Amino acid sequence: MSMVYINIFLAFTLSFMGLLIYRSHLMSSLLCLEGMMLSLFVMMTVTILTNHLTLASMTPIILLVFAACEAALGLSLLVMISNTYGTDHVQNLNLLQC
Amino acid sequence: MKPPILTIIMSTVISGTIMVLISSHWLTIWIGFEMNMLAIIPILMKKFNPRAMEASTKYFLTQATASMLLMLGITINLLLTGQWAVLNMPDPIASNMMTVALAMKLGLSPFHFWVPEVTQGIPLSSGMILLTWQKIAPLSILYQISPSTNPNLLMAMATMSVLMGGWGGLNQTQLRKILAYSSIAHMGWMIAVTTYNPTLMLLNLVIYIMMTLGAFMLFMLNSSTTTLSLSHMWNKFPLITSLILTIMLSLGGLPPLSGFIPKWMIIHELTKNNMIIMATFMAITALLNLYFYMRLTYATTLTLFPSMNIMKMKWQFENTKNMTLLPLLIVISTMLLPLSPMMLTLL
Repeated sequence: MSMVYINIFLAFTLSFMGLLIYRSHLMSSLLCLEGMMLSLFVMMTVTILTNHLTLASMTPIILLVFAACEAALGLSLLVMISNTYGTDHVQNLNLLQC
Repeated sequence: MKPPILTIIMSTVISGTIMVLISSHWLTIWIGFEMNMLAIIPILMKKFNPRAMEASTKYFLTQATASMLLMLGITINLLLTGQWAVLNMPDPIASNMMTVALAMKLGLSPFHFWVPEVTQGIPLSSGMILLTWQKIAPLSILYQISPSTNPNLLMAMATMSVLMGGWGGLNQTQLRKILAYSSIAHMGWMIAVTTYNPTLMLLNLVIYIMMTLGAFMLFMLNSSTTTLSLSHMWNKFPLITSLILTIMLSLGGLPPLSGFIPKWMIIHELTKNNMIIMATFMAITALLNLYFYMRLTYATTLTLFPSMNIMKMKWQFENTKNMTLLPLLIVISTMLLPLSPMMLTLL
């Protein structure tokens, strides 16, 4: 595996860690979700272009479409939380524990 | 929710799962998972209150992360093998990534923390769809990639799931959380047998879906979400109260009810493959599950708790809920044991 792929995999891992380890804002988790999607987009595009898998050229764009829908849904949930609590702190989401 | 919107959303959920089931290209499988997740969020928020919002957010975050991990597995598979077919043996890295992503979608340990909280925050009918229909798509993918998965990883997750499902449910009085921990434990049983005989995983899934649908419908008849409100059911539906006993014993896996079929077959398959310690361990942790089912039936069917006199007037009201398939589900959940050879050949 060449250096390019290791680099992009490292970008994905950093975004994944950012999704799991965040301080208080839900927005940072959503941003890291988008970061993961971006690194996957780049990895897939580089793979397809390097190996000349021409028929799969629209796959990264389809990935982008669905990730954008997901981001919109995440943002609408964030807006609803912000409407109820005023901020998007994750400590507010504690109604359902135990 | 208005009927046209509910129709569109339910058809998107169903078509998302069907897309996962029928595709042979990894991209359409991922698209099916995304459609499923996008469309189930409005169903989780049928009643708009802060708990439903919190449950939807937690569900969305875990499922989106799992979808991204699945896509990473797909991309690594594309990089290392250069093709998109599902039936090929992926690389161990890609296979482990996909297994972890599917475990997050199913709610297996150690990724089970969202299941009780999300099930608790949503209405009973949404919880029914969450715990039964949403398990079909990930388990179908696990069935397809089961020859190339890592058996150690699956066995470790199965062990942790039956333990967490058993222990977690012991301190609960909320019915939705009890069913959520029951789901975690049953998923553990399904995963344990996947590397040895994937057909038994499908058998366990079918019987688990029938039993859980029956249990949810019985709770929905009474609109009860706590053990306390379920204990008042003897007055309103005396016959259905005794059916709670049979469904709970079937979920616990007692013969001669049909919940025993998957446990028997799985233990048989594990001993055939020389995993006797695992089989004994899983049978013993199933007792933890049986304890909290029995506690529920003790409160509901076997005793009459002291209650106020006003609770004893419920028999005067007619039932208005239309539970169409409930008799069929009860019969399937309790009386299917004699047909077990036929079921093994059908699946």
